[in-house]
Amino acid sequence: MKVNLQQENFIFDPSGVAYWESKGILLIADVHLGKIAHFRKHGSAVPQKAILKNFEQLKKVVDTYQPEKIYFLGDLFHSAYNSEFAYFKTWVQEQQADLVLIVGNHDIISPTHFKNLGIALKEEICLERFLLTHHPEEREGFFNICGHIHPGFRLRGMGRQHEKLSCFFKTKHQLILPAFGTFTGKYLLQQSKNNQIYVCTETEVILIPQKS
Amino acid sequence: MYKPIKDSFPKIGKMDFATGAAEDGRVINTNQNMNKKQLLDIAKTWFAQQDWKAFKFQKDTWQEYLKGKNGLLNAPTGSGKTYALWVPIVLEILQQKSRKKKSAKGLKGVWITPLRALSVEIEQAANRFAQDIDPQIRVGIRTGDTPQKERAAQKRKMPDLLITTPESLQLLLSSKNYDEQFKNLNAVVVDEWHELLGSKRGVQMELALSRLKAVSNNLKIWGISATIGNLEQAREVLLGPQTPQFENSVLIKANLKKKIKVQSVIPKKMEKFPWRGHLGLHLLDEVVPIIKNSRSTLLFTNTRSQCELWFQKLMEKHPEFAGEVAMHHGSIHKETRLWVEQAIRNETLKAVVCTSSLDLGVDFAPVETIIQIGSPKGVARFLQRAGRSGHQPGKQSVIHFLPTHAMELIEASALQKAVKTQAVEDRVPYLQSFDVLLQYLTTLAVSNGFYPEEIYPEVSATFCYQALTQEQWEWCLKFITTGGETLHTYDEYQKVTVEEDGKFTVTNRGVAMRHRLQIGAIVSDAVLSVKYIKGGFIGSIEEFFVSKLKRGDVFMFAGRNLEFVRLKGMQVQVRKSKKKTGKVPSWAGGRMSFSAQMSELLREEMYIAAASADPDLAKELGITTKSLELTALQPIFQRQLLESIIPTKNEFLIETFKTREGYHAVFYPFEGRFVHEALGSLLAYRISLLSPISFSIAFNDYGFELLSDQEIDMQQVLDNNLFSNEFVMDDLYKSLNATEMARRKFRDIAVIAGLVFTGYPNKLVKSKHLQASSQLLFDVFRDYEPENLLFLQAFTETFEHQLEEGRLRLALERIQRQKIVWKKCEKPTPFSFPIITDRLREKLSSEKLEDRIKRMIKSF
Repeated sequence: MKVNLQQENFIFDPSGVAYWESKGILLIADVHLGKIAHFRKHGSAVPQKAILKNFEQLKKVVDTYQPEKIYFLGDLFHSAYNSEFAYFKTWVQEQQADLVLIVGNHDIISPTHFKNLGIALKEEICLERFLLTHHPEEREGFFNICGHIHPGFRLRGMGRQHEKLSCFFKTKHQLILPAFGTFTGKYLLQQSKNNQIYVCTETEVILIPQKS
Repeated sequence: MYKPIKDSFPKIGKMDFATGAAEDGRVINTNQNMNKKQLLDIAKTWFAQQDWKAFKFQKDTWQEYLKGKNGLLNAPTGSGKTYALWVPIVLEILQQKSRKKKSAKGLKGVWITPLRALSVEIEQAANRFAQDIDPQIRVGIRTGDTPQKERAAQKRKMPDLLITTPESLQLLLSSKNYDEQFKNLNAVVVDEWHELLGSKRGVQMELALSRLKAVSNNLKIWGISATIGNLEQAREVLLGPQTPQFENSVLIKANLKKKIKVQSVIPKKMEKFPWRGHLGLHLLDEVVPIIKNSRSTLLFTNTRSQCELWFQKLMEKHPEFAGEVAMHHGSIHKETRLWVEQAIRNETLKAVVCTSSLDLGVDFAPVETIIQIGSPKGVARFLQRAGRSGHQPGKQSVIHFLPTHAMELIEASALQKAVKTQAVEDRVPYLQSFDVLLQYLTTLAVSNGFYPEEIYPEVSATFCYQALTQEQWEWCLKFITTGGETLHTYDEYQKVTVEEDGKFTVTNRGVAMRHRLQIGAIVSDAVLSVKYIKGGFIGSIEEFFVSKLKRGDVFMFAGRNLEFVRLKGMQVQVRKSKKKTGKVPSWAGGRMSFSAQMSELLREEMYIAAASADPDLAKELGITTKSLELTALQPIFQRQLLESIIPTKNEFLIETFKTREGYHAVFYPFEGRFVHEALGSLLAYRISLLSPISFSIAFNDYGFELLSDQEIDMQQVLDNNLFSNEFVMDDLYKSLNATEMARRKFRDIAVIAGLVFTGYPNKLVKSKHLQASSQLLFDVFRDYEPENLLFLQAFTETFEHQLEEGRLRLALERIQRQKIVWKKCEKPTPFSFPIITDRLREKLSSEKLEDRIKRMIKSF
């Protein structure tokens, strides 16, 4: 779905990434790689095959948009260094695009690991009128794109129907991206006049209209 | 700290059994081997000194125990069951001492109670006898409430007799050299076995006993159970089918005929009686005279939130009760609970509002009257609660039943019949609970380590795992060692390691610590402690409730209004609030279902109700008198008959109507909640095959509702014979995939098997990085490891423990024979009201998610 932010075109993808068309930048938040390996390391037998899901999803969005740059908006890696980093390394080596990580609260792995792979680490990025961060921020004169929250929305309808979905959460000066990682939870947000909610299904992004 | 009970039984004389000098001049020779008769004489003399007469079942139990038998004792609460077993256990210690100069070290007897609240009473009973017989015998308690210091002291020197819970017993098995502690164990008594039997804590017990049988040389296993439908099976589960212990066992029945009188509290004005609801507060004033006219009263509520509300309202409307009425439920601070229990005994309290936390219990609690608020959802439970009154043998027990909505009045008269015929339900034991097995194996690996070839025969001799195959066993071993995968270079899975000689052990201290903390989690949600900011522990509360609170919210807890300040670690910090009303914590206490027998009684009552509103039918059936309950219900019946019917034996009623919420279709099989869950899901699934549709499904003990945003084509449902008995299991299995029942079962399984780490009450554990919802895990297993035994267990458990296949088939057969009466109504009927207002619902959809979202958006 195409959405115009500050006269710039962005594509909201059902996988939860946003693609900035004119700049060729793919924005991805909260992948939480390494979570499954972390669980296994602590004795919780989550199926190992599930590790591959994130990489399949990453491959799919990169193939679709062929970006020049990929910006990770924090929490790329869930925990301390573990075996899943090896999978990540393999993935990085296949990439054509420039990779940048805006450091999030979960990113506790030594920066040298990322630097060795040629990934630039940033606290934040100011690009024209846009401020890219991990934590949501307000700054005069900037539109903030961020992650961290894992936004979700509970949609209700007739007949006591309801569905919990991950979503892009947009306010006047801010866009919060959904968590990209497959093994992550959601934090439910409320709809109001001052925000727009775009829910994600497997195949579509759907704008929730304001309640009349 | 704890004052011994003042009882009304005078002591006749004092005898010092340990030295053998009796006041009446008889001398018991303790220097020689004491024989059985001498031992029994000691017990009889002691009983006579208390001015008690031993019951036959008590004497029988003493006899059988001293013969070395195992067994199950069927005796109700308050019958003196505690002495039936403490006595021979103490006597055996006495006998062993008479044989050897030096007494053996370690535990001699272990008493398992499902509720730690009961441990004090049990300890008193034990001490009372043991202290008179041999003051050297030490009795101790070990539960989650036991301070760390005392636990450490116990580790160094175990008492002779230990009172503990199933979880604490598992914890003992997880400590190094546990086999030494249990080596000289003579007896394990599992009290209230019927409570444990139908739960996973029961499985924990089966496994613990299978180990104790191997490490204790002289073990006898006894269970005590209230009356349930499957007593014989209860004994088999306890002792293990075809084991030597089972072969060498007895079933002793107390057979104390207790007179129980059931009295409904009937509202004076039926017009004002609500059609729905579960609190029953509108009848509060009717309760007051009952309390005032009785020396002591217990008011049983079904949930802790109901308990809180009743207490609050009672104090508000009748301040004269201040100081005379108290509250008791499982989340209240231990000191307060103990104080209340003591006050019940002393009769210093006039009434106590309580939950099932006072369901069980030992002897001599002198309560005169019982009030049950709302449906007890089970005859056995109702009987047991009734039994809390008139505790002295021979006295009549009175129980008042207070209906919370109109339909429950029908239940009231059905209950009266059930009490007469003792139509008690079965407790269905679990089979193949892989989650509990994985937990147990890790427990053994944490303590001494284990060799599979030694443990496998023990495990497969239990009832739960009698059908465990070699492959499944191998799978379990693989699961705890490699996390279910074939070894992989990248994998860092850590839990149990295999040593060179084949011993399975846990070497990682973090793994061991987390496992020990997790053992207690088998019963509860993540529990947080509630404290004042300035300090002072009030009680504990489920995380689920706290997660919905915002700063400044006021909630009712332990009879107080508290303001939520902040959550700090595992602590909920609060301050007192002056606000009158607040939220009431909801606790996850399980929803229960009527048994087959009770459902049948309920249906019969319904047929009589139909006749009561129709003079012709009454004449036809030869019914001349109406019960008080049915007379009171007449206005409601008239309202029901305006647009619908009261179904008779040959009719199956379906009502459809439209409200602001959508299109309702309500079905009335009167088969109990669990069968309705299955029927509702089955029917929703079958209808959803006809065309894309989404349902919200609600159930209660009378019927179920399918609610949709589209009108259901009922004619098509009838034409297609969707109540057919064909392909039931297949359709049901598919409907399970579509609903969330199995998903919810998986929650417990994931916690017990150690897949998710929940932390532990009052302990701050840095586990944030290890938190994931079991829901996410369920999806991961479904997508990547659908053959995983834990994942499959969620489905089999739903089938076996919730859906009751057999009853479902019978219900469908019955519907096949009945005439379907479909009433298109303008408005909801009185019968439908309790169902359509139920908020706990299932959902099922055959629409594409995108289509559903678009339709939901349209209704905005």
